[in-house]
Amino acid sequence: MVTVRLENVTKRFGKVVAVDNANLEIKDKEFMALLGPSGSGKSTLLYLIAGIYKPTQGRIYFDDMDVTELPPKERNIGLVFQNWALYPHMKVFDNIAFPLELKKESKEEIKKKVTEVAKMLKIDHLLERYPYQLSGGQQQRVAIARALVKEPGVLLLDEPLSNLDALLRMNVRAELKRLQKELGITAIYVTHDQAEALAMADKIAVIREGEILQVGTPDDVYAKPWCKFVGGFLGNPPMNFVESTVIRESGELLIGESRIPAPPKYAELLKKFDVSKVLLGFRPHDAEVIELKPNMPDPPMLVGEVFAAEPLGRETIVTVVLDDETYVKVFASKEQKFDVRDKVGIVLDLEKALLFDKKTELVLERAFEKKEFS
Amino acid sequence: MLTDVEVRSKKTEVAITIAILMASIPLFLAFSLLVLSSFSKEMMTNLSLESFRFTIENWINVLQGKLAFTGGIRQNILKYTFNTALVALGVAGVVTLISALSGYALSRMNFRGRKFLLMFLLMLHAFPGVALIVGVYLLYRLSLPSSPSLVTTFSFMYVIVARAALEVPMATWLMKGFFDSIPWEIEWSAIVDGASRIRVWRKILLPLIKPGIAAILLFGFLAGWQDLIYVRTFLVEPTLATYIEANLEAEYSHMPLIAAAGTLYLLPTIIFFLTSQKLLLETHSGGIKG
Ligand SMILES: Nc1ncnc2c1ncn2[C@@H]1O[C@H](COP(=O)(O)OP(=O)(O)OP(=O)(O)O)[C@@H](O)[C@H]1O
Ligand SMILES: [Mg+2]
Repeated sequence: MVTVRLENVTKRFGKVVAVDNANLEIKDKEFMALLGPSGSGKSTLLYLIAGIYKPTQGRIYFDDMDVTELPPKERNIGLVFQNWALYPHMKVFDNIAFPLELKKESKEEIKKKVTEVAKMLKIDHLLERYPYQLSGGQQQRVAIARALVKEPGVLLLDEPLSNLDALLRMNVRAELKRLQKELGITAIYVTHDQAEALAMADKIAVIREGEILQVGTPDDVYAKPWCKFVGGFLGNPPMNFVESTVIRESGELLIGESRIPAPPKYAELLKKFDVSKVLLGFRPHDAEVIELKPNMPDPPMLVGEVFAAEPLGRETIVTVVLDDETYVKVFASKEQKFDVRDKVGIVLDLEKALLFDKKTELVLERAFEKKEFS
Repeated sequence: MLTDVEVRSKKTEVAITIAILMASIPLFLAFSLLVLSSFSKEMMTNLSLESFRFTIENWINVLQGKLAFTGGIRQNILKYTFNTALVALGVAGVVTLISALSGYALSRMNFRGRKFLLMFLLMLHAFPGVALIVGVYLLYRLSLPSSPSLVTTFSFMYVIVARAALEVPMATWLMKGFFDSIPWEIEWSAIVDGASRIRVWRKILLPLIKPGIAAILLFGFLAGWQDLIYVRTFLVEPTLATYIEANLEAEYSHMPLIAAAGTLYLLPTIIFFLTSQKLLLETHSGGIKG
């Protein structure tokens, strides 16, 4: 029920720039994931929105109201911490009731609301226990219940699943997404797990060293990363990058001994701008590994030898080392059999391949747009 | 047998125990001689068991406030015990309240001179209380009320505050440590939920550092109970400490009787150390599980 907007928000701790000139809009009822590696400033950004930290520069708006100076309790937010921060000396009921007690609601009202939210999160049988008597998954639900019970306008979650085991994480992931949609609440979700972000969010903001690199739908961010970092951070295994030299006359890329045509969408750009070194990026699913057969006309491809093949059940990840010592990972169907040291070729789906500028690591179209390329 | 990581091997355990026992022999001996003498007709300080002839007369006399078998001098020892307890409780209360507040501020609030203040507190703690007594006495004389009826009350308040002041620096340091051990997130969580800082302090943080508070209450109490110099300098009424000290060398005093008074005086110390182990070691069993 609230749109959150950050305008040029910067947060410094002494010399450390934890958040660097962030601009971000989270629409009403939207599920936004803040995705980045450890230490990238995700928690700091969340605490800025919560009002726990005050920005060094910039403004924060909830709808059209400037909340930059507003203390946390007046922002009507629910916050779930990375370590859940339950009050160890209070029973589950009192933990969840705490925000309501502070609002001076009546005893009956509190009881009603706590029971309701506990039912919703399936913890109504645990209300008389202490936090240390709960499993990790149950504690996490209590933390979410405590954040939801005051019916906040924005729900902020700081890696709430990172303390759970892999299986439980998958289940809670789905539940949380459903809950958010059912309640129609604006949610901002911090995570360093790209799979979590892709699975849950309506939009993803990728952060590195305090800088928001790209904001977009999961599909967009996955398929059209704006820079090498984003491509390399999303996907499991992530995008492959191969150094290549542009041959301007023929519109081809030279990679070691191999020559392949440049992805068609870059043909124009490569003609127009003079750039010689690029990084060719492709996802492990957007290529095929083929066995090299003697006396056959080769399709254009990268050549190398098999370094390792890891069967995953449904398919196999093949790691291939190209002649210039670059390692790439490609998915192959499980019918294909590979041995270590087999000579293989990699045929790319050029429609989906991307080119990045070598120096700025921006995808070429953006590098040209910003006129930042080598 | 498999042991947890924190468990020491049996051998070191035994060695440590023996070392501790050896070190405490003189202390233990002195205490037991004192206690035994209080139940004996003669002092046992010559270390011979023959001088022990059991009696509880000493205790009866002490509790009746008699100093000697013969003399008619009677002192109200219960009143002295009460005075001692009053000073001890006062010191404990004042030290705990002040250090719980200042420890919180030093742990949680960022203000100018915080680092300096922390160092300064340590220095203050190292400063001997005796060295301050001239200055403290001057202040006492200056602030003494003119009406004689108020002097007794005033002297109680003064000795409590002055004695507590000696304990506050270290207690503040300890409290800061206890507060430091609580994750910020717990406090932030309460603030986001709408609690004021003072409320967070009272409702969330204090319950979490209960063992720490108990420890400081205890040390404050013992400091007040054991104090001699400040009590003797400022307090109009006697306490157990000044009473024993005054009669230790008096000609009329019967030593086993003083031993009984001494045992009475040591009782809280002994009781606390025997019973409070568990209390002091208690920490809130785990907030977060993986
Ligand atoms: N209170 C603080 N004082 C000084 N530096 C801080 C403070 N909080 C965070 N930082 C620094 O700011 C940067 C961002 O920290 P932040 O906690 O936001 O990272 P994060 O993305 O949440 O990481 P993680 O995934 O490990 O939780 C880090 O370099 C960190 O050292
Ligand atoms: Mg974090």
